[in-house]
Amino acid sequence: MPFRQGSARTRQRTVLLVGVAVLLAALLLAVVLASVLTHGKQEVSPKMLQWKDRGTTKNLQEVILGRCYNYVMARYPELGDKDCLKIWESLKHAFIYKNPCNITSEDYQPLMELASHPIPCNKSLFWSKTSDLAHRYTKSNQNFLTLEDTLLGYMADRVSWCGDPSAPGINYESCPKRSECESNPSSVFWKMASKMFAEAACGVVQVMLNGSVEAGAFRSSSIFGSIEIFNLNPNKVSAVHIWLMHDIGGPQTESCSGHSIRRLTSILEQRNFKITCEDNYRPVQLLQCVHNPDHTDCRLCTNTTAAP
Amino acid sequence: MMKSLCLLLVSVLFMNSLLEAQGRKWKGEGTTLNLESIVIGRCYDYIRLVNPAVGEKNCSEIWEAFKNAFINKDPCSILPKDYELFISLSLHPIPPNKSLFWENNQLLVNSFADRGRRYMSLADTLFGFLGDFLNWCGQANSTGLDYESCPTTEECENNAVESFWRMASITYAQHSSGVIHVLLNGSAVGGAYPQPGFFADYEIPNLQKDKISQIVIWVVDDIEGPDIDSCGTHTVKVLENRLITLGYDVTCTDNYKSVMFLLCLDYPDDSKCTLSSSAPAAQRGPVSSDRGGSWNKLMFVSFVGFLFRFALVY
Repeated sequence: MPFRQGSARTRQRTVLLVGVAVLLAALLLAVVLASVLTHGKQEVSPKMLQWKDRGTTKNLQEVILGRCYNYVMARYPELGDKDCLKIWESLKHAFIYKNPCNITSEDYQPLMELASHPIPCNKSLFWSKTSDLAHRYTKSNQNFLTLEDTLLGYMADRVSWCGDPSAPGINYESCPKRSECESNPSSVFWKMASKMFAEAACGVVQVMLNGSVEAGAFRSSSIFGSIEIFNLNPNKVSAVHIWLMHDIGGPQTESCSGHSIRRLTSILEQRNFKITCEDNYRPVQLLQCVHNPDHTDCRLCTNTTAAP
Repeated sequence: MMKSLCLLLVSVLFMNSLLEAQGRKWKGEGTTLNLESIVIGRCYDYIRLVNPAVGEKNCSEIWEAFKNAFINKDPCSILPKDYELFISLSLHPIPPNKSLFWENNQLLVNSFADRGRRYMSLADTLFGFLGDFLNWCGQANSTGLDYESCPTTEECENNAVESFWRMASITYAQHSSGVIHVLLNGSAVGGAYPQPGFFADYEIPNLQKDKISQIVIWVVDDIEGPDIDSCGTHTVKVLENRLITLGYDVTCTDNYKSVMFLLCLDYPDDSKCTLSSSAPAAQRGPVSSDRGGSWNKLMFVSFVGFLFRFALVY
């Protein structure tokens, strides 16, 4: 009968239509889901500025706070009045939500005031191109202090930070290098801290320079050469002792009679400081010998050691 | 008059000590202030900056495990195994050939190890780094830390700090491998190898013989100290024999040079510290810049010479 034939075809058609509808629905769902997910990802990724140097140290707050308490409680209990929480807050407010190329010394002023402390006379040790050696020395000989042995320097050493105008205000991905912009949080911090460290120095000060570098032991472009020597107070500092160190077995590019040392000396003498210079200051050279005990420069006069 | 003064003095002293006794339960220093912030801060400092090779650690969890080892307990009932969870959370591999054991020369070892760069002493591992130079204890029936006083090991052995270091030493020894070094003080009263001692009681028994290739002993005297012990004598001989009996390959050196140089930092002029290559001290002296004087002279002379020649020609 014609109606029965018609109904079979209709059923077929219906099945086909349903199948197509299901397929379309599935496709639509997939498209919707995909767009929702990618849209969600886009919302999560920050619109932060991108830079070339490493980003803010993760867990910066915990590290800074812990170091502050560690320094005050465990190393210099005389500084017991330092409020570490306030110090952290003042550091944070110096850079959070700010464009990291627009940092000024005013931003750090509250932090500098809260964290600064007096430095005993005759103990300041400046350094240039001798970071590793100078810090190993002050670690083994507590008679001298580098900037990194003061509270400010101790908290900030090897740590990095910078902000960004968009939330959460701190950029953990990257921070500007000095070549990208001079007024970045790190450069401004260390310049200010170095200036204050120099201003606080009194009595005899020491500076450890590297006589094995090609560019010369003293450079006007270094923080020592551009900031620290000009902020030593002639009313407080009586003399500057230069320790000119050569790498063990390294080139003797410059010595105390060298050109850049004479330039440094003339700058300091014009400011009324007495200068002395010593090639390879013995205690520091002994420290270098710890790493090179068998080098000819490290032979001891007395040979009482039993053969290993 | 004198008698009444004496009586007054005695009673004042008595009252003083009574008051002290009331405030201070124990003879040792109290818990370090801000202990939690210091420990958590050190934990992040270690994993982010000191030794990022250890990877990600949950520093809050580590603090909780540390605290739960001794909080709310009788401060004389803390056992090394109470720190088991803390250790398991903060454990990380120790590179072979980098272990440095020691006795009676903590500051020297600290300097010599160079924060894990040359050697990894116990204080350069995460678990040791967290507790180094800190003090802590709790109290029974209270979740608070005792900031006033803590028991010394003489008062009771099973105190929070002692058990911590016992557990840490055991762990450190168990995870050491390759060539292991031990630095002893040849000027120490009672001998370079103290017994009882951490090395003798908690470290040697936990060394894993199959992972260790050699044990190198260094016996170093203080620069101006007496030579009480050396390789092959007294307590060092006892140590050497013990290790040899245990089956280890042992060497011993007196006054190992690298360490001697480090000790010499404080005694640069001692005869033991004189370098045969060093120039006499007369080298140190004022430096005059001559303010470019010789250059100026040269320029002046050249200029005069030029003028003279100029005058001659014309």
